[in-house]
Amino acid sequence: MAKNNVLKVEDISVSYGPVEALRHISLEVNEGEIVALIGANGAGKSTLLGAVLGINRVLSGTILFMGKDITQTPTDKIVASGICLIPEGRGILSLMTVLENLQLGAYHLKANINEYLERVYRRFPVLGERSKQVAGTLSGGEQQMLSIGRGLMSAPRLMMMDEPSLGLSPVLVSVLFKTIVALNKEGYTILLSEQNARKALECAHRGYVFETGNLVLFGDARELASNPRVRQSYLGGAAE
Amino acid sequence: MELLFAQIINGLALGSIYGLLILGFTLLLLVAGIFHFAYPHMVVFAIYIAWLTLNATAGNVALASLAAIGGSLGMAIAIEPIFRPLTKRAALIVSMVVSLGISVVFTDIMSRVLHRGVPIGFPLYFTGKAPIITVGLAVISRGQLLTVVGSIITVVIFLYLLYRTSTGRSLRAIAQNSFVAQLVGIPVVRTSRLSYLIAGLVGGLTAVFIAMFLGCSYGTLGDMLALKVICVALFAGMGNLVGGLICALILGVVETFVIGYLPGDWSNAIAFAMVMVVILWKPDGLFGSRV
Repeated sequence: MAKNNVLKVEDISVSYGPVEALRHISLEVNEGEIVALIGANGAGKSTLLGAVLGINRVLSGTILFMGKDITQTPTDKIVASGICLIPEGRGILSLMTVLENLQLGAYHLKANINEYLERVYRRFPVLGERSKQVAGTLSGGEQQMLSIGRGLMSAPRLMMMDEPSLGLSPVLVSVLFKTIVALNKEGYTILLSEQNARKALECAHRGYVFETGNLVLFGDARELASNPRVRQSYLGGAAE
Repeated sequence: MELLFAQIINGLALGSIYGLLILGFTLLLLVAGIFHFAYPHMVVFAIYIAWLTLNATAGNVALASLAAIGGSLGMAIAIEPIFRPLTKRAALIVSMVVSLGISVVFTDIMSRVLHRGVPIGFPLYFTGKAPIITVGLAVISRGQLLTVVGSIITVVIFLYLLYRTSTGRSLRAIAQNSFVAQLVGIPVVRTSRLSYLIAGLVGGLTAVFIAMFLGCSYGTLGDMLALKVICVALFAGMGNLVGGLICALILGVVETFVIGYLPGDWSNAIAFAMVMVVILWKPDGLFGSRV
């Protein structure tokens, strides 16, 4: 089967001032995949997502989205071309209503937002019930739904999620990963940065392991999950 | 009783001018991320532009008003590049110092160069000081009425734009969290430039209303108004738009009563005394800070 590249990152480096945050990273995401980025805090996963979206400036290397070079493209154009990021900490605009948050997700769409809105409400009925409510009054889990819903409003061809499970209860984490798998089954391509390596590798097709700005391992998610080094560092040591 | 009524109208007119100033000031504070101390100075400068145009055109009121609005817009566009690097670095305090510098330049020009520093006066046909409603001793002039009604219309249009249009939604998103605004694909830099245009436009209208209401202007009027704007902002809570509008009206009425019923002009002292009391009691202002 010919692989249909959605995202192709080639040999990029990113630095914050004198600190090199990413060194010569290459990875790709194919259509219909869930790809997990695994690594400790500060390993460079979020930096990579920020670089793809044009928020973090890339020193060298290229980023291709649907075959087009977006390395120097401004963020608003990248978002309009079909990449969304569901940020760490959810990034809810807490003083605005649920509806306004969702409308902002569709910022670049010219017409027919209602259809997308209906679809988000069908997936997350609680958002429909609370559409007029100020987003800051939602619970943590509901805010996570809103954040994902806002991403869906942009009709993305690639959804990037940064630490979506952070701060959620174990029950909600399970719900979240079920949502991610369901979204993927509907055809969404997902790039997931996650410290919860076990859960991430369970639902992902492939994974990349980051350590202090370097890419140390990558491959099939199942194989990664049984790799001794990954087990040791990220899956809590000994085998089950 | 009639006098009280007239004082209240007068106070509301003054308060609505403060309210308009708070509108532009807060928009720039939240969206562009600058503390524009010199915003009232630029408004007062627009009053001078109106006056100069009025003299040059032998009393064309419409043209003078348009010149004030155009001049105010022009000034807002002109200062944007100065603040752009500060907006990017989120350097609020630095922007305040830069703006203080701008205010000094404006005050110097207005109190030394223009009309040789002598206060300017607007003719009656511009200010509409002639009474249109007379109840006993109380008099309400066309200028007062126009100021109040015009301000209300301006505020309503402004709030409609901000809360009911997608552009307004983007501006509010930037105000609340510019990182998230960027994430959802809002061209943040280009959109926040819009806040200068809106502030400039509102500033021009404010200049016309001040000219009608006060009927005069002088070099240090900008300083006086800038202090009042900061006073209202602190009183309501920095960056709280609706709170600022309410407090602007309160301050306008209180100030008018102070001037009307106390000997001497204690209005500045009392305004800031009110701020200090409120800040002791509620450090974030009466309605809470939004910065």
